[in-house]
Amino acid sequence: MSAVLFLSVFLIAACGLIYELIAGTLASYLLGDSVLQFSTVIGAYLFAMGIGSFLSRFVGRGLVARFIQIELMVGLVGGFSSSFLFAAFAYTQSFRLVLYLLVVLVGTLVGLEIPLLMRILKDRFQFRDLVSHVLTFDYLGALGASLLFPLLLVPKLGLVRSAILFGMINAGVALWTTFLFRDQIGRVIGLRASGITVLALLGCGMVGADYISAAADNNLYADEVIFSRQTRYQRIVLTKWKDDVRLFLSSHLQFSSRDEYRYHEALVHPGLAPIAGAKHVLVLGGGDGLAVREILKYPNVEAITLVDLDPEMTKLFRTNPMLTALNRDSLNSNKLRVINEDAFPWLDTNREVFDFVVVDFPDPTNYSLGKLYTTAFYRLLAKHVSTRGAIVVQSTSPLFARQSYWCIVSTLRQTGLKTYPYHVYVPSFGEWGFVLAAAREYELPSQLPEGMKFLTLETLPELFRFPNDMRPMDVEPNRLNDQILVRLYEREWRDIAH
Amino acid sequence: MTPSRRQFLSAALVGLPLKAERRVSGGFVNESQIVGHTLRDGIAFSPSTQRVKIPVVIVGGGMAGLSAAWRLDKKGFHDFVLLEMEPQAGGNSRSGENEISAYPWAAHYVPVPNAEAVFVRELMEEFGVLSDGKWDERALCFSPQERLFLHGRWQENLEPEIAATPKDREQFRRFDLLMKEFRASRQFTIPMEVGAKDAALDSLSVKDWMVQQRFDSAYLNWYVDYSCRDDYGALAKDTSAWAGVHYFASRQHDEKGPLTWPEGNGWILKKLLAKLGRYVRTEALVRQIRVDGKKYRVLAGDFEYIADKVIFAAPTFLARYVLENPPVVPFEYSPWLTANLTIDRMPREAGAELAWDNVIYDSPSLGYVNATHMGLRSRMDRSVWTYYWALASGPPVENRKLLLARNWNDWKEAILNDLARAHPDIRECVSRVDIMRIGHAMARPKVGAIFSEARRRLAKPAGNLVFANSDLSGFSIFEEAQYRGVTAADYVLRRI
Repeated sequence: MSAVLFLSVFLIAACGLIYELIAGTLASYLLGDSVLQFSTVIGAYLFAMGIGSFLSRFVGRGLVARFIQIELMVGLVGGFSSSFLFAAFAYTQSFRLVLYLLVVLVGTLVGLEIPLLMRILKDRFQFRDLVSHVLTFDYLGALGASLLFPLLLVPKLGLVRSAILFGMINAGVALWTTFLFRDQIGRVIGLRASGITVLALLGCGMVGADYISAAADNNLYADEVIFSRQTRYQRIVLTKWKDDVRLFLSSHLQFSSRDEYRYHEALVHPGLAPIAGAKHVLVLGGGDGLAVREILKYPNVEAITLVDLDPEMTKLFRTNPMLTALNRDSLNSNKLRVINEDAFPWLDTNREVFDFVVVDFPDPTNYSLGKLYTTAFYRLLAKHVSTRGAIVVQSTSPLFARQSYWCIVSTLRQTGLKTYPYHVYVPSFGEWGFVLAAAREYELPSQLPEGMKFLTLETLPELFRFPNDMRPMDVEPNRLNDQILVRLYEREWRDIAH
Repeated sequence: MTPSRRQFLSAALVGLPLKAERRVSGGFVNESQIVGHTLRDGIAFSPSTQRVKIPVVIVGGGMAGLSAAWRLDKKGFHDFVLLEMEPQAGGNSRSGENEISAYPWAAHYVPVPNAEAVFVRELMEEFGVLSDGKWDERALCFSPQERLFLHGRWQENLEPEIAATPKDREQFRRFDLLMKEFRASRQFTIPMEVGAKDAALDSLSVKDWMVQQRFDSAYLNWYVDYSCRDDYGALAKDTSAWAGVHYFASRQHDEKGPLTWPEGNGWILKKLLAKLGRYVRTEALVRQIRVDGKKYRVLAGDFEYIADKVIFAAPTFLARYVLENPPVVPFEYSPWLTANLTIDRMPREAGAELAWDNVIYDSPSLGYVNATHMGLRSRMDRSVWTYYWALASGPPVENRKLLLARNWNDWKEAILNDLARAHPDIRECVSRVDIMRIGHAMARPKVGAIFSEARRRLAKPAGNLVFANSDLSGFSIFEEAQYRGVTAADYVLRRI
């Protein structure tokens, strides 16, 4: 008998902690800033448990029936907590209000559980043993839940189903209690009926959970999502698996911290190293600061202008310690000027001239982004480059999207600049392409900055050689009024995916 | 009213504010009929007090009148005024602007002109849109140009493709081939007067011609009917087959167009007014043109202009209210409604990306044009949509009454209901709907009108008063308006 009772304590403690973790996770998932969200959710929850404990003194007769009712309420409210929160985020403007109301409600109910249970059990055990055992199992339950949650529940069940599962456990404990203490309860049948109703409701929720969790994109990413935010412009998602941090913008992989050095060294140095005394550098896109990190390796560069549309992106990479470690705090450099504007109109209204321009936009997956890969855009860009300067453009994969790649080359050539296509292997991306464009004849650099992890002077010429399966193709340029690149790109990447 | 599931859900969540039904502001704008109807209703005017002698008066400040002014000015002739009844010149080329974008009120594009359209090319060269035979790539409509909402999702291009049968495709192919032949005949030109020859096609409707050619594909018939409504404001059964063919056979596409700007043809208008504004008198309603010996007395407001020559560039049907011996006008005019919708959140949608021209299959409207499409931004979170609706089914007279009888709220609801088919949450995304009602928006090339004796007489200049509105061509497009204006100016210059 006592073992069964303490198992109940273990289970309800686990449930209580799970609801708290779910609220905290959902809050940081949907609102960002996880330290703030977790602190406030835990604070509010513990405080509400205090309210519950306080209120427990007002529960007089019919302790067991009351305890069962509270269990059922916790099961129902807690079980549907994540569904409620997703709905509140989707349909109301007051997600925070719903969040804290829910946290306080569940916390209060959970706070009532242990005091009531202790009073129910007080005649069966010595007070000394009772306190010791109840609290032991309470904390054990918490440990179990906190381990289960990140390792098993979130990856396997997701937030909606995890909450419902634990709601069912609460309801199960309630039902079970009606059997354990049937001699102490008056209306056993009524309580059992409510218990079964709650279980059935939660069961329905479990079956229909897919509809609710379609809103969350947990399943999309292989690794654990450590940051996720929907900004005005895109969805920023960071995932982490061991030491590998990956950035996704609107579900497209931008870099993996394991091999991004290959991409960024190749993006910057072949073009910048040969320009002796380059002073002014422009980076378009690249709000992660990784290209800027490479550019800062040139002491002669006096000023870097970074134009990235999304202020939340540059803010994230300026403040998050894990990310500033990756970009070596480049976005906080005093040589850097960050401009959060749309690149095309910004260039159109600006007259500055730069020695080197890095174009690191997302791939041309739609016509809006495709504008940034047109003759009109490159002609405008060419006006912003000094006579001895150069432009480098990230140009998708010459292997997976060969026509798209050579279309970008052909488009750049329309500006009258000479083009120098090259490519590099980045494991997380595959074979990746870039195009250098300059008015002058390209000369390989005679020197590279210190600390290259990938590039060497000896192997640099290799990048400019294209094997047979990536060899040049004759493709029409991409124009504003006839964006063939978007159609080519879509077709080629679709063929790869299927 | 029973609450929706969502309202119920959020009400259950402690009565929280809903992200729901928002108030939409707006009203009717540019109400021309108020001034115009004073002519029709014969309201008594106070007599003019000032007399001005001037060799040439242009009546009407739309594209035709402004093009006449452009020609006169360019030929070194400056002794003329242009009289416009509205507070702003421009007619169907007027535009508006809000904090998001400039937007058109009616005409919103010019197809890339062929070699025959010499005056259009000359104007575009003057404005820097054409230089060394190359078109400014920022003025050519960006990709994607068009999309169609069909069977619950958007597809690229206007020719219906979703669920098209082999028969549909075969008929579209055959239709294209026929149009190619018509094009090769060189009779369907812009300006139309250059090539127009054969009258046989003008004696039956587009609808009848389609039957004659055994075109029975529902998709093709919708497409052709849409084109008639789009260019002429008329259904296929009310449009001359000659005009219908002209729509498809008149343009040689060596460059993907059309030419367009955020404010539509308002861009051309602004450029013209910057140059010609000094000739323009606005709020100058011409109420009478009297012959006095060899001169004309043109009465407008406080002024009486005594002119040698008059270019009547206003819609030709107005002549019957101001001339002593008005000519027979063989056209009907199509009533239109346009609306500009301020979109402050991009609506939900499925399928192909937002295009410049967005059409809903089987809708009575013509769809909408996205004003920010010609902007350089790569990400759009707000916009202005110009919604077009030619009231084509039923007699124009009845539709004009309907246009005036319904209040703003009725029209706004009709527009939002139409758009909600393609964008279920449109009501949450629109903050303002301004509506412009145009009773006589454009001449309608009904069967027999283009090759009627009456049209030929009107179009042939004679005497000292010449007509110049685009309706002389039988249909109202920018190129015809400009051609009529320029040729009227040339005629006047030869005789002065």
